[in-house]
Amino acid sequence: MTTFPLEISNLSFAYPSGPEVLQGVTLSLAAGERIGLAGGNGSGKTTLLHCVVGLLRPSGGMIRAFGRECRSEPDFRALRRRVGLVFQDADDQLFCPTVLEDVAFGPKNLGQSAEEAASNARNTLDRLGLAGLENRVTYRLSGGEKRLVSLAAVLAMQPDVLLLDEPAAGLDEGSKQRVREILLGLPQAMVVISHETGFIDGLAQRVAVLRDGRILPENPSPGTPSPRGQSSLRAPKPCENGKWA
Amino acid sequence: MHLADGILSAPVTVASTACALAGIARGLYRLEPERVPQVGMMAAVFFVGSLIHVPVGVSSAHLVLNGLVGLFLGWASFPALTAALLLQAILFHFGGMVCLGANVWNMALPAVAGYYLFGCRLRRPVGRGMGFAMGAAAGAFGVFGSGVMMALTLCASGGEFLVPAAAVLAAHIPVMAVEALVTGSAVSFVLQVRPEFLLSPSDGTPPRPEDGPHPPADTPRNRS
Amino acid sequence: MVLFDAPPDSVIQRLDPRVRVATAFAFAVVVCFSRSPDALGFALVLGFLAVVLGRPSLRQLLRALLTLNVFLGLLAATLIVSVPGRDLFRLGPLAGSRAGFAQGMTILCRANAIVPAVASLLGTMEPAYLGWALAGLGVPTRLAQILAFMVRYVEVIHVEYHRLRDAMALRCFQARCDCHTLRTFGHLVGLLLVRSLERAQRIVDAMRCRGFTGHFHVLRVFRCGVPDAIFAALTTAALALLIFLEVQ
Repeated sequence: MTTFPLEISNLSFAYPSGPEVLQGVTLSLAAGERIGLAGGNGSGKTTLLHCVVGLLRPSGGMIRAFGRECRSEPDFRALRRRVGLVFQDADDQLFCPTVLEDVAFGPKNLGQSAEEAASNARNTLDRLGLAGLENRVTYRLSGGEKRLVSLAAVLAMQPDVLLLDEPAAGLDEGSKQRVREILLGLPQAMVVISHETGFIDGLAQRVAVLRDGRILPENPSPGTPSPRGQSSLRAPKPCENGKWA
Repeated sequence: MHLADGILSAPVTVASTACALAGIARGLYRLEPERVPQVGMMAAVFFVGSLIHVPVGVSSAHLVLNGLVGLFLGWASFPALTAALLLQAILFHFGGMVCLGANVWNMALPAVAGYYLFGCRLRRPVGRGMGFAMGAAAGAFGVFGSGVMMALTLCASGGEFLVPAAAVLAAHIPVMAVEALVTGSAVSFVLQVRPEFLLSPSDGTPPRPEDGPHPPADTPRNRS
Repeated sequence: MVLFDAPPDSVIQRLDPRVRVATAFAFAVVVCFSRSPDALGFALVLGFLAVVLGRPSLRQLLRALLTLNVFLGLLAATLIVSVPGRDLFRLGPLAGSRAGFAQGMTILCRANAIVPAVASLLGTMEPAYLGWALAGLGVPTRLAQILAFMVRYVEVIHVEYHRLRDAMALRCFQARCDCHTLRTFGHLVGLLLVRSLERAQRIVDAMRCRGFTGHFHVLRVFRCGVPDAIFAALTTAALALLIFLEVQ
């Protein structure tokens, strides 16, 4: 049996003195798979991701990462080395004075030396086409730059799984396109929260919809074949004269 | 509101700096790393608050908010106000560099006193009226206390500062009224929206999700 | 922006932030405890020199100096009248003393020498570097971190404040001297506070997601170059001269 990088089964969660936000969520993420997570405001999408990385403790259910069940803080600390969460508001994530320091923060926490962490951070910035930003002061970056740098900050830790909370929110078309292309080029398995069908279509192989605390029965997103090739049937086929049908 | 460089005598400067350093040390003592962002954020709110001008009669006054910071941070008000006053001194030249210690001591001591006098009432659930009253008291006390301490600092520097000290104290009275109403409404607002920010003991660890009940976390099965 | 837009390009701009903080502070301390007119005159010259080298925003500096001098002028006026000593002038019941005049002028000179120097050396510095510089000079790291967090989020909170003020203005709010205004400001401050504390919690969460276990690492290593050494040496010489003029 293959182990999934991430398995969530029957997860439930309630905020203190609040209704149950999640009521038995089950979702598994295969290696290299990109899942879109949709749902209305307050449906618990962010809560679900925060439960997965152990920032919130579920009232029931199980989270299994790379075949290991996670229950206690040390378990989740180990999980966070391999599962990176990109927050919705980049200002929450970029707290260091300069870009380079912020991107190197994660690698340093993983035990790398200052030089290693800095070169790791530089490489990551280079790969995302952000070279030249490293000495910029974080609060002087534009909204799009902040988003990309916060992605770089998580990628510098070389996680196997990426969880992205609304990576396209508040960006203009150009920046959105850039984020989308970068995400498509990454090998990591990922869960992407997004309201925008335009952004998620073609990026995610399937879309899980969260409603009333549960994941609705899935239907594969059109446009991209899933790794197992099941949803390719619905992809539009070109006509003989080269135009789309 | 703040003392400028060059006014205070050397002994008063040295003594108040020493007092401020002791307060900062107490504030940093056992400050968990997880609370550093919170303290920095409160310092930023204090800094932005000082840019908010409220009309007072024909003139205007800026908010002080040291009482409010005190209610939330307790002893950590010392480092928070040190950071904010230093940035004010550098960017706007409000207050001096050398007498930073004196300004910190004058502003932060009433804040901490307000935490012990009025903040303890807010640690358990209270109504909005009580919240407003305690907030208003802390706000008024913060401004009044720092006015008195500033006047005392001036007087200690030399008898000739008696008149300016009295003027400083008089100037604090309208500000005190403004601050009482603003801090009172701010505290009652927080009590309505996020009471847990006040309920949590600010001198200890803020309540983290993992502190909550989660029965499966420590089962023996997990350790095997 | 609360923090100035672009730091100017100047001689001082190229110096190590630690050297700038240390020299500014040393200058302020020496001037603060000087009394002799010679020393204070020299301090004013040094303050002016710092403005030439650091090129701070003159508009901002002059405005700060104006407010400061109005306040200190009033203070000096009360000193002239209240300090006992040989008469300088006599206007009916009011007598101005020479000693009071001297003390008032001393205070004015000190402040007018220190403020331009601090404005040029520190006011033009990228505030984000301030935390590093202080940590590099032996200030407790935790305090430097608080300062760094504050500098980082001042702008974010200030933008939020302006957004809320605009939204209030659109609903015809006008600040007056009445209870409604003060209560509204109270709610505004309360909202800023709640948002900031929630953000603080999210920051800690985001830090934990990146493996934070309670340890802040410092990556920045400053290097003192030849210009820094020259600047520090010149400042030391100037301060030595200042002290010499004072004790002479």
